[in-house]
Amino acid sequence: MKELKKIFSLIFIVALLSFMVACQDNEEDVASDSGDDDGTIELTVFDSDTNSDWEEMKSPVGQKIVEDTGVTLKPEFDIEGGQTKIPLMIASGEYPDMILSKGGGQLVEAEALIDLAPLIEEHAPNIKKMLGEELNRLKWSKEDPSIYVLTNAAVENQAMSPNFGAWVQHAVVKELGYPKIRTLEDLESVIREYKELHPTIDGQKTIGLSMNTDEWRIQSAFLNSGFMMTGGSDDGEYFIDPETFDATLHYRRPIEKKVFEWYNKMNAEGLLDSETFVQKHDQYTAKLASGRVLATIGPDYLMYEGQSALREAGMEERMYGQYPVTLNEDYVSHAYHSNGLQAGWGISITKDCKDPVRAIKFLDYLASEETQIMLNWGIEGEHYEIVDGKRVIPEEEREKRNNDKDYLKKTGIGYNFLRYVPHWGDGVVDSTGQTITVNTREEAIKNQTDIEKEVLAAYDVELWKDLYPAMEEFPVKAWGAAYNISIPASSDLKVLNQRALDVTKKLVPEAVLTSPDQFDEIWSKFMTNLEKNNIEKAEEEYTQLIKDRVELWNN
Amino acid sequence: MEITRKAYSKSSAIQKKKKTFWKAAKNQKMLYAMSLPFVIWVFVFNYLPVWGWTMAFQNFTPGISFFEQEWVGLDHFIALFQDERFYLTLRNTLAMSFLGLLFGFTIPIIFAILLNEVRHSLFKRTIQTITYLPHFVSWVVVAGIVTKMLSTDGGVVNDILMGMGIIDQPFQFMAKENWFWGIVTVSDIWKEMGWNAIIFLAAIAGLDPQLYEAAKVDGANRFRRMWHITLPGIRPTILVVLILNIGHLIQIGFEKQMLLGNSLVVDYSEVLELYALNYGIGLGEFSYGTAIGIFNSVVSIFLLFLANGIFKRYSNQSVM
Repeated sequence: MKELKKIFSLIFIVALLSFMVACQDNEEDVASDSGDDDGTIELTVFDSDTNSDWEEMKSPVGQKIVEDTGVTLKPEFDIEGGQTKIPLMIASGEYPDMILSKGGGQLVEAEALIDLAPLIEEHAPNIKKMLGEELNRLKWSKEDPSIYVLTNAAVENQAMSPNFGAWVQHAVVKELGYPKIRTLEDLESVIREYKELHPTIDGQKTIGLSMNTDEWRIQSAFLNSGFMMTGGSDDGEYFIDPETFDATLHYRRPIEKKVFEWYNKMNAEGLLDSETFVQKHDQYTAKLASGRVLATIGPDYLMYEGQSALREAGMEERMYGQYPVTLNEDYVSHAYHSNGLQAGWGISITKDCKDPVRAIKFLDYLASEETQIMLNWGIEGEHYEIVDGKRVIPEEEREKRNNDKDYLKKTGIGYNFLRYVPHWGDGVVDSTGQTITVNTREEAIKNQTDIEKEVLAAYDVELWKDLYPAMEEFPVKAWGAAYNISIPASSDLKVLNQRALDVTKKLVPEAVLTSPDQFDEIWSKFMTNLEKNNIEKAEEEYTQLIKDRVELWNN
Repeated sequence: MEITRKAYSKSSAIQKKKKTFWKAAKNQKMLYAMSLPFVIWVFVFNYLPVWGWTMAFQNFTPGISFFEQEWVGLDHFIALFQDERFYLTLRNTLAMSFLGLLFGFTIPIIFAILLNEVRHSLFKRTIQTITYLPHFVSWVVVAGIVTKMLSTDGGVVNDILMGMGIIDQPFQFMAKENWFWGIVTVSDIWKEMGWNAIIFLAAIAGLDPQLYEAAKVDGANRFRRMWHITLPGIRPTILVVLILNIGHLIQIGFEKQMLLGNSLVVDYSEVLELYALNYGIGLGEFSYGTAIGIFNSVVSIFLLFLANGIFKRYSNQSVM
């Protein structure tokens, strides 16, 4: 009995202590919350994307920002685009100060966000200057012209590297004498020839074509290739007719069947990695880094990790060049088809924000020319120097920029802060006539490896982007990018889209992996399944959304 | 005289009983006071959330008060029962929870009994530690290990099978729908077997050695001793663990299915909880998600009664 008493009193003491500790924490929170205009303030932000480079405001750039604004950002990063956490926030009714969302539909519906239009008008001259007329694109809807989401996209961007393409190892094209790689057929024969010549690389089996299909990446790499190969630009799951604004689920365009049939053929011949639809992201990256994947297809952002791992390992001939491959020569790559200012995704200030004026001023500070230069180039004298009035990155620093995986984390340069505001894109110049981002043509060329230069020279260009049709060749899309139109929470379009995606994710890989004589059968099963899931109704509603947006933006 | 006395004593007994309850309550008021926090805890965390079930009967919109919500009756349930995908996920949930109970429960017992027969104590302890360590590894890591091992590209399992000449082409384990339940069950056993066996090993250690000695004298061999002494000896423990396991049938979770699954096997990998997460919270369809959740609870209660029924039949004891 005595023993028991002892144990009980111990438990009680522990419980009491932990309760006291918990209370203390609360007090601390309250104390740090209060901050006046001149003093320091901590702003919490929910970020729908991950950021493995987050520097906790401790890097030189982060320190400078704290010094200038008194604001310490406290982000919470999410791994699945806020899909779960944002609805949970809504359900609980508790919000951080700011939310970086991929479409604020649910949040607006729940009246969680405040109208930024008056705040921008009054406190944000830099943002106004940057966006100009295109501020119009941020209006929510015809009925409610408030601005709830401030885009975080690049403004007037002319990216130095194309955002989508077929990636082929330099070693492959070099050995085969720089064949033309323009169509899927070209790509296929390149892969086949090299694989026959080299069944193994470094003692491991050569893999012809592999793709990253882990979770959402199946869309950005594999499924999107359907329209990218047939003259579409990225509008998510839909293809938008540029004249009539009719939305079609892109797989339903008859021509796309040919693209997936090509994958099927590749698989039948053993040129497609048999693990394509099973592997996880890290397995895929590890394969690229092993240098035995001859080619892959996908967006640029899924390549960084693999490419830099190869570079770090000194396997530069196994790095990838980027080719504007399409189904046949009737189509061109629309990688550079401009969306205009991207609206929809971006940062919002919530109704729970401690100090909305401080928040907008902070965002405006990040958007100012001076800060933008700092976020791209770093701190003068430390990360770059001014020589003859021009910003120059010293050789030693460039070396670090290219080869140190933790460079962004150590310096605070780049997407650490640029991700929270609209920012000037590549090619835009500042008041002194120099580009604001580091990615100038010259810099891009300087960053190339020797073998890359050799390959590019053989194709008679300076940059991969020169192989692509330029931005000027396409009219700006009047609807922006369809994938970031936010769908009203009350509409059943969301459910219809999800159903269509479920069907797609299951049946398209199945069609690719089946034997070629059964491809037609599975593809038509795919089509009927889509129809069964009311895809026509979804397309109709989507078309309406597109038309509404075009009307809203062009008035 | 006799009758009145009886009647008297009876009525007084009732009175006495009533009295004793209140008296006892009064006497034990400290005990009642002490249990109160736990009663409140159970109420707040287990009963209060049930209030949220009302969402399933509304077109719930976050941010507006309960009284302004639009009531739709059973619409969401009707939509649910018309949904093919729902039946698929239901089948998967049932299949995987039964496989989990069947193998996840029996194998640790067999393992514990066999391990107990090992004489070498150092060897025994090492094996025990090795087998229970995976319990502490998270499913994310386990899923990584499993996919790597079953990979067609240098995966250990395929290498061994090919080396032994059983197959001449790597087998695509992770791409075959029919294999998925098996893979989940086996990896679950790999992860939890050692941990679940600990309690049985402890029970075995508590058995009286004299019983074994007596059996030995009577000429029982090792197998006989296992069968007639060890197994009956740990029977009470087995029953308790079974009760606990049945309680956990409700929570088969969705991590393993989510992490091990891929788009090719989704028809066999999606479970109710994952479905509720994707279609409920993921799409902001709180009401539909709640309807799935309610049905999930119904399934769990059904499973519980079923398991209890079987249990009662064979052991003449009831859990509930």
